[in-house]
Amino acid sequence: MALQRAHVLVCAGAGCVSSGCKAVEEALVQSVKNLGLTDEVRIVETGCMGPCDMGPVIVVYPEGVFYRKVKPEDAVVIAEEHLLKGRVVTRLLYSLPGTAEPLKTYDDITFFNRQTRIALRNCGLIDPLSIEEYIAREGYAALGKALSKMTPDEVIAEVKKSGLRGRGGAGFPTGLKWEFARKAPGSPKYVVCNADEGDPGAFMDRSVLEGDPHSVIEGMAICGYAIGASQGYVYVRAEYPLAVERLKHAIDQAREYGLLGKDIFGLGFDFDLEIRVGAGAFVCGEETALMASIEGKRGEPRPRPPFPAQAGLWGKPTNINNVETWANIPPIILKGGDWFASIGTEKSKGTKVFALAGKIRNTGLVEVPMGTTLGEIIFDLGGGIPGGKEFKAAQTGGPSGGCIPKDYLNTPVDYETLAQLGTIMGSGGLIVMDEDTCMVDLAKFFLEFVQEESCGKCAPCRIGTKRMLEILERITHGQGQEGDVELLIELGEQIKATALCGLGQTAPNPVLSTIRYFRDEYDAHIREKRCPASVCASLFLAPCQNSCPAGVDVPLYVDLARQGRFGEAHAVIRWDNPLPMVCGRVCTHPCERKCRRAQLDQPVNIRALKRFVAEYPVDGDGAAFLLPKPAPRKSEKVAVVGSGPAGLTAAYYLANLGYQVTVYEALPVVGGMLAVGIPEYRLPKKTLKREIEYLENLGVAFKTNIRVGKDVSLAELRKKYNAVFVAVGAHRGQKLGIPGEDAQGVYDAVSFLRAINLGQAEDLKGKTVLVIGGGNAAVDAARSSLRLGARKVTIVYRRSKAEMPAIEEEIEEAEREGIEIRTLLAPKRVVVSSGRASGLECLECTLGDFDTSGRRRPVPKEGSEFVLQADVVIAAIGQAVDLDGLAEGLGTTKRGTLAVLDNSGLTSLDGVFAGGDCVTGPDTVIEAIAAGKRAAAAIDKYLGGEGVLVRKPEVVRKLSGDLLEAETPRQPVPCVPVEKRTSSFTEVELGYTAGMAQAEACRCLRCDVRD
Amino acid sequence: MATVKLTIDGIPVEVEAGTTILKAAEKAGVHIPTLCYLEGIHEVGACRVCVVDTGAKALQAACVTPVAEGMKVLTNTPAVRKARRMTVELILSNHPTECTTCVRNLNCELQTLAESLNIRSSRFAGERPEWPVDDSSHSIVRDPSKCILCRRCVSVCEKVQGVKAIGPLNRGFQTVIGPAFGDDMASSVCVNCGQCVLVCPVGALYEKDGIQKVWAALADPSKHVVVQTAPATRVALGETQGMEPGSIVTGKMVAGLRRLGFDAVMDTDFTADLTIMEEGHELIERLTKGGVLPMITSCSPGWIKFIEHFYPDLLPNLSTCKSPQQMFGALAKTFYAEKKGIDPADIFSVSIMPCTAKKFECERPEMRDSGYKDVDVVLTTRELGRMFKEAGIVLDSLPDDDYDPPMGLSTGAAVIFGATGGVMEAALRTAYEVVTGEPLADVNFKTVRGLEGVKEASVNLKGTEVRVAVAHGLSNARKVLDRVRAGDAPWHFIEIMCCPGGCIGGGGQPIPTDTEVRQKRIAGIYTADERLAIRKSHENPAIQAIYKEFLGKPLGHKSHELLHTKYTPRGRYAIHYRDKKVAD
Repeated sequence: MALQRAHVLVCAGAGCVSSGCKAVEEALVQSVKNLGLTDEVRIVETGCMGPCDMGPVIVVYPEGVFYRKVKPEDAVVIAEEHLLKGRVVTRLLYSLPGTAEPLKTYDDITFFNRQTRIALRNCGLIDPLSIEEYIAREGYAALGKALSKMTPDEVIAEVKKSGLRGRGGAGFPTGLKWEFARKAPGSPKYVVCNADEGDPGAFMDRSVLEGDPHSVIEGMAICGYAIGASQGYVYVRAEYPLAVERLKHAIDQAREYGLLGKDIFGLGFDFDLEIRVGAGAFVCGEETALMASIEGKRGEPRPRPPFPAQAGLWGKPTNINNVETWANIPPIILKGGDWFASIGTEKSKGTKVFALAGKIRNTGLVEVPMGTTLGEIIFDLGGGIPGGKEFKAAQTGGPSGGCIPKDYLNTPVDYETLAQLGTIMGSGGLIVMDEDTCMVDLAKFFLEFVQEESCGKCAPCRIGTKRMLEILERITHGQGQEGDVELLIELGEQIKATALCGLGQTAPNPVLSTIRYFRDEYDAHIREKRCPASVCASLFLAPCQNSCPAGVDVPLYVDLARQGRFGEAHAVIRWDNPLPMVCGRVCTHPCERKCRRAQLDQPVNIRALKRFVAEYPVDGDGAAFLLPKPAPRKSEKVAVVGSGPAGLTAAYYLANLGYQVTVYEALPVVGGMLAVGIPEYRLPKKTLKREIEYLENLGVAFKTNIRVGKDVSLAELRKKYNAVFVAVGAHRGQKLGIPGEDAQGVYDAVSFLRAINLGQAEDLKGKTVLVIGGGNAAVDAARSSLRLGARKVTIVYRRSKAEMPAIEEEIEEAEREGIEIRTLLAPKRVVVSSGRASGLECLECTLGDFDTSGRRRPVPKEGSEFVLQADVVIAAIGQAVDLDGLAEGLGTTKRGTLAVLDNSGLTSLDGVFAGGDCVTGPDTVIEAIAAGKRAAAAIDKYLGGEGVLVRKPEVVRKLSGDLLEAETPRQPVPCVPVEKRTSSFTEVELGYTAGMAQAEACRCLRCDVRD
Repeated sequence: MATVKLTIDGIPVEVEAGTTILKAAEKAGVHIPTLCYLEGIHEVGACRVCVVDTGAKALQAACVTPVAEGMKVLTNTPAVRKARRMTVELILSNHPTECTTCVRNLNCELQTLAESLNIRSSRFAGERPEWPVDDSSHSIVRDPSKCILCRRCVSVCEKVQGVKAIGPLNRGFQTVIGPAFGDDMASSVCVNCGQCVLVCPVGALYEKDGIQKVWAALADPSKHVVVQTAPATRVALGETQGMEPGSIVTGKMVAGLRRLGFDAVMDTDFTADLTIMEEGHELIERLTKGGVLPMITSCSPGWIKFIEHFYPDLLPNLSTCKSPQQMFGALAKTFYAEKKGIDPADIFSVSIMPCTAKKFECERPEMRDSGYKDVDVVLTTRELGRMFKEAGIVLDSLPDDDYDPPMGLSTGAAVIFGATGGVMEAALRTAYEVVTGEPLADVNFKTVRGLEGVKEASVNLKGTEVRVAVAHGLSNARKVLDRVRAGDAPWHFIEIMCCPGGCIGGGGQPIPTDTEVRQKRIAGIYTADERLAIRKSHENPAIQAIYKEFLGKPLGHKSHELLHTKYTPRGRYAIHYRDKKVAD
């Protein structure tokens, strides 16, 4: 073999083939030839390297430089720059998400260096078409060892010692299985490789066959020797033509080399292989069905016993294992069972290959020791969830398995633990779901699959799964009934208990598992006819509207805005949200998170559009007719306690329904947190005032400076009013619980912001400010400090930046304004000098295991203490409810919030309702508005009404113009330049012009128009 | 053989190793409900109705799970009952609830099962695939919408008959049983034996109804309606009115038929005797003049279609004799018409048969030697039972009537045509005496009787050893035919009956027809034989008379014209595939 100075490995796994590796390889070969390097550089086509989403990928050895997403024109550059001149092409290197620093070599990349590759030892490293390369990597040495130095019983003993369990899913001990086949009377015996990989999202076996076919051949031959078989079959599905081709090639080569066929190694052992191509029925992965199919019969399972070891192919003793199991055999024989058993957990030895798919950055193949936690696989190797979305659950075991929600990210992945969680290891498919996955829809998907793939032999699977699917279809179409979930559980349990084969017995798993962990989603579909993930399209108009807690008809008003009918657009918002000017500025816009436009370029800037149309007079273009007509005045009186967004909303709708509403406010100003929590530069007081004027015009009376529970009792209100709505918010800042926090200059964010809003703030001129926390209050406090003249403002957060709960734009603006964000720091104590804060002692943190929110837990490093200097320390770590005498007679929860009986806010006191932050704990404005709406409807019903807040006109949903399908980024919102901001509290965002608003509205894809 | 001890619902029981839980439970006196199970033929554990708790993770199907030492089987726990009910509830959710108008009303295993499991509602209203009814066949109607996919029919067709005309198509919820590629029954290799109908637990497979045509003919004053009754019907018809299998109801059947209004009630047994005369002489001729041997009987129309499809190369081995039914039909519209002075155009010829294949046979184009359709309508035993029921005829209360002449008189040799080995035995009774000219010492050839699949015997006819074989059930026929095809057949004469047990187990017989029932009917057949005064066909005076008056002599010109036929080689594939193959 000639020596070359460089080897270029081009991944030719199925993923890279579809992303165009062949063209890249051709370009590379051509360039190398053009450069006259043909003799120096060898280009090798390998099997799958694993990182499929980065394809086409190539690795240049000897350095091991890893290039990803290589296009043919890049290949030319690699040849010229790297291969000729020895300069790495940096732009084609891989960088970790969120970092700019490129990682040069294969071994630098977590995706690779966290793996332990046994089954995949040669995949992506050798040319699968070359038996010489396999042999060079100790290939067929294990077969040689077994035949020449071991008895069959010793081979079996070694496999038993390794603790290897079947990688097809059930995890039966491989050595034991071989022993059964060896001991079974009957002749001839057979060895079968199950390569009928059919799980959606699974491609482990395929990659092994395509990337390292000889490892399977060798494993099977060793088994043949061990059990006394001289014929084997590989049953592989016809959908894997490349696997079939490479395997065929490998078998031919092995025969040529005398490694298959008669008298192998001249040691008197005969073994040969035949490929049987299956037509692609999922059920043929079940061993008895598979064997029926090999025999030429309809691929259907039969009851066991007899097991294949007793009566398998043509009734003869047969040992059947899956591809990955076979690939593990040669290293076990070579390195010994003890070596293999040293990897993994107590009962699950060795490694497992997983196919990562779904909502995960690094889709592809990884091999990790058994017992690696799910979180490590998903976040460290898989790179986490793309698009800033939240991890929701992972499905293992494909349609036979179940899901694992984020509470269990620390779960070590092995056979036993997964079973305890109600799922199975399966063959290694791991599908990751993010917040945009509807778990009912997911269950439906898998059930549809098994329904399609059910062989139809036994009644429970054939009819039962169909009936389950029909129930799920009903639920996802909004026709679910009370009792459906119970029926699904009953059916599922019965199918599990009675179905004939593994497919049927596991078919209900995805349903049972999603019910177990996501029952609330089923209930939302059935009871509220709502799909929380905005997937089940018959349950909503558009994802934006569906994800808005207040249910604002976004597509309708966006379309009106597009047409320049701004007043009408404004009116449409007011059907569902009485505070559009406020929300146009401060809403966390969950709508944008679900905007389908994001899949094309970026979400529509719904908040900015709302702000624009809300500024436009509601009757500006004669749209007043669209506004709900105030009902004639009724005699019933309602008291609202608290004038925050929840209280204002309830007051608005109740007044509109004709009730006499009085709002009690403890503070001197109306607006609750809107007035005293949100800084002026985000929400000007005059804007809030305009919103409140709408209410005053409806006849709502406001009584400020009256604290209910102190100045007037709840009992008195109940006497005077027919109903009371309590919405006092969560206005008490939470303490840090560390030494020194009572010193001067230490504030909680709520008090700090309130003081600013009430004009009582401390002058921070020239001072250094530290804000502790990562939420919106922290960012508000930090940016406000800057405006109060602080010299330097730093935010200290214990997790990483990606995990800060504050609105992303706010964090960006804060940094733009010069605020430093220091992450992975935990406050230990406030350093106090002469009674005043002078700094904060912090501990550095590392990210540990996962908490139940699915985020990594910050773990303070012992001895890493250091002090950050500061004149002012602001703790923005949470808010609590301050009931202060109000709660008498009303129950409270453990968290100190008001107890309610249902989501309308009904309390245990007759006629008293509650909602907003005082019930939920600190939450968003739009959630408070939604709570106000629900309470208003409930109060109306309580007082004899129908509970309908607004009677909306019929709307015909049609396009008012062509959809803008070309990639078009969102219209930026004009802002005051950074240098002009910090000198005052002037509003930062300037809002759209009419032209900008119309242009942005054109980006809406009108998900509400269906035909 | 090693035995295994276990308990079933606490009852200790000891059985042979390898026994199923179901059989062990039977021994312990515990009843486990089944639905798809068919002993010895269809044991696949598909319906999951027979599940029991063995302590394993999932429940086990008792019909396929072997017992194990120390096993503790529970058949009546809440979980087991719940599972069974759920499964049957699911099956019901995919089954049309047309019980009151179903052909199997009150004789349906699903109905019985649902009743016994106390199911009072089905909670699963959902899709039910609507399949078209396949009534393309002259014999068997297939209504897949009623099918519960137990697949007994598939197993019987494959294992018992070796035909494989039907199998499961599609998969999952869309699974349907039928001929390959969705063909209809008429273009399939189905031999119309109706064994599938006998094992169908519901009304998904049933005979093509001929009752209405017969009622119409009976009501038509211009028609002279004659009826013939096959040997095997007289020992089974009683079952349609709750009598024991094997009860001999010949006379009462004749009386009942008269009450229905038939103008002449005659007996297929007459032409069975005639068959012996013709076939016997044919055999003697082949033996003496060097014809194709072994000669194989040709009475069974399912068997005829089978050989046409699967062994067309052996058609020369078949006797050219028509079946007794078709001999009767041909004579009814010639000999009988002449004798009675009736225009054959006005004769409506009905036959009562244990057989669904006879419905196909009478429609064969070659079965018109009288110049008319020789047999107009074939009714199965079951259909006659239904007519009697509809007409209020209670067999038990009827007198024993005699058949009408001139084709009403018959012998014991004819009656035994109804059981496997009967034709052979009848032939031997005659051949012996004709060839040797000596009377038989014992007319009972017991070696060819009984339910063994292939039976062999040899008879010394005046120094010539005649070796014979008898097969019933087409998979047994295959064994014999494969040897003939291989040139490895020592026999001169072979009797083949399509259905297991012969005609008494025909596809038109009352349901259930199982091994036990077959044995009882066979016993009835031999009792009827023994009760008859004449037990050899050639001694039948009516036969002697018809040769004298009408036919001349066996194998004579008239016989050839009316009583013999030719066969049609058919391929193994449906007609249009064959055509396509030719075109390709």
